[in-house]
Amino acid sequence: MNPWVLARGAVSQPWRLWTCHALHFGWKHALFNLIALLVPFALLRPRAWPGLAAALLVLAPLLSLALLPGLGEAQYRGASGLACAAWALTGVQLARDRTSRLEGALLLGGLGLKVLLETFGGTSVLPSEPGWLSLPAAHQWGMALGLAFSPILAWLPGRTKDLPRG
Amino acid sequence: MLTRALPCRTVLGATALLAALACLPPTVVSHRSGLMDYLYPKNKTAPAPNPSGARLQLPLRVGIAFVPTPGGSGQNALLPAGSEKPLLDILKDTFKDKPWVKEIRVIPSTYLTPQGGFDNLDQVRSLYGVNVVALVSVDQIQYTNPKWYSIAYLSIVGAYVLPGDANDTRTLIDAAVFDVPTRTFLLRAPGQSNVKGSSTAINVHARLREDSAKGLELAMKDLAGNLEKEVEGFKADVATGGREEVDVATKEGVSLHDLPPDPSAPNRRGGTFGGAEALLGLVLAASAVIRRKRA
Repeated sequence: MNPWVLARGAVSQPWRLWTCHALHFGWKHALFNLIALLVPFALLRPRAWPGLAAALLVLAPLLSLALLPGLGEAQYRGASGLACAAWALTGVQLARDRTSRLEGALLLGGLGLKVLLETFGGTSVLPSEPGWLSLPAAHQWGMALGLAFSPILAWLPGRTKDLPRG
Repeated sequence: MLTRALPCRTVLGATALLAALACLPPTVVSHRSGLMDYLYPKNKTAPAPNPSGARLQLPLRVGIAFVPTPGGSGQNALLPAGSEKPLLDILKDTFKDKPWVKEIRVIPSTYLTPQGGFDNLDQVRSLYGVNVVALVSVDQIQYTNPKWYSIAYLSIVGAYVLPGDANDTRTLIDAAVFDVPTRTFLLRAPGQSNVKGSSTAINVHARLREDSAKGLELAMKDLAGNLEKEVEGFKADVATGGREEVDVATKEGVSLHDLPPDPSAPNRRGGTFGGAEALLGLVLAASAVIRRKRA
């Protein structure tokens, strides 16, 4: 078993709670997740980036802990759960500002649509690569944690009113 | 004096006969076809593995045959004439619809020479145009134990009507699959059965033949199920690199070593954004940046 992935016993090897989000099942998997993770940063001012990065560092182990009971014998890897959290965090912050409300709404709407399709359609908008199965719970938990933590992001470095790029 | 001694002798004689019958050892009939005797007749030690390994191209043409036994014909034959094909057809029917199988050919054991080795197997492989050959060897032992009331056989009538013999037929079948050109062992699977019954003294041989045929059929069915599991395990081993000496190429010519694991494997989960989702996110970010710069 790869020592960096999220799997049963990860609580006794706590680094896995963070490292699993950096591991992927292939370059395509990594590339698309990286792009998805960078989109919120692209929509924010650079001074808000440390706040978002700090929030994601805190959310990473919480997301892993939320996923762990449902994993069973399986292993998890991928940054999309965190990306969903970042989309939710950023979407809420952008939607609060009048000048960036459209971007915020699109970000939250797109995320909501993705999670809805996966939850009720049983699949991702695009099928995952062969060799592994997509885990919709990662996106559901990521979105939920992002929404729950969005008020906290408001008083992290790069406050809400400073967040939108422009 | 003579008239008094006669009943005593009769009783003693009957008792001795009964005791002798009770102590009779079981009759054991054994049939065995040895895979190693056939493939490596002259080797005293285990052969070295083929360093080049095997590369199998899917779908496979598979040959199946019983290992021939020296002197195993006529009355001593384990498999009576005509019984080989129905037995091997059990295996054929199990695997003929598998996507990795193109054709399964039943090879009569008469085409194989006892102790013929791989040279003989290679000839047969070429003759039948198959890639791999599954060799089926059989080990069958039949025990016949007289029951206590088999003493009644002495009455002659009892030998016809009383089932005083307990029969036990134990069959072990083993199938070993080889890539013949490279002489590489691929996989093996066992099948076994145990048939019990009883018979009269007159009918014992006919009953043993019936039990033998039934035992072979049951063991072959058991073997088919086990072989199916072994094939799945073999495929997984090859795909995960557990069998480095064996490579399997798909219909498209792609090695199983290069293929990602089975997508239905439940133990690999990943969080993912699809390409379209990521692209839409990028477009959103780019348009927002452009719009603000214009503003």
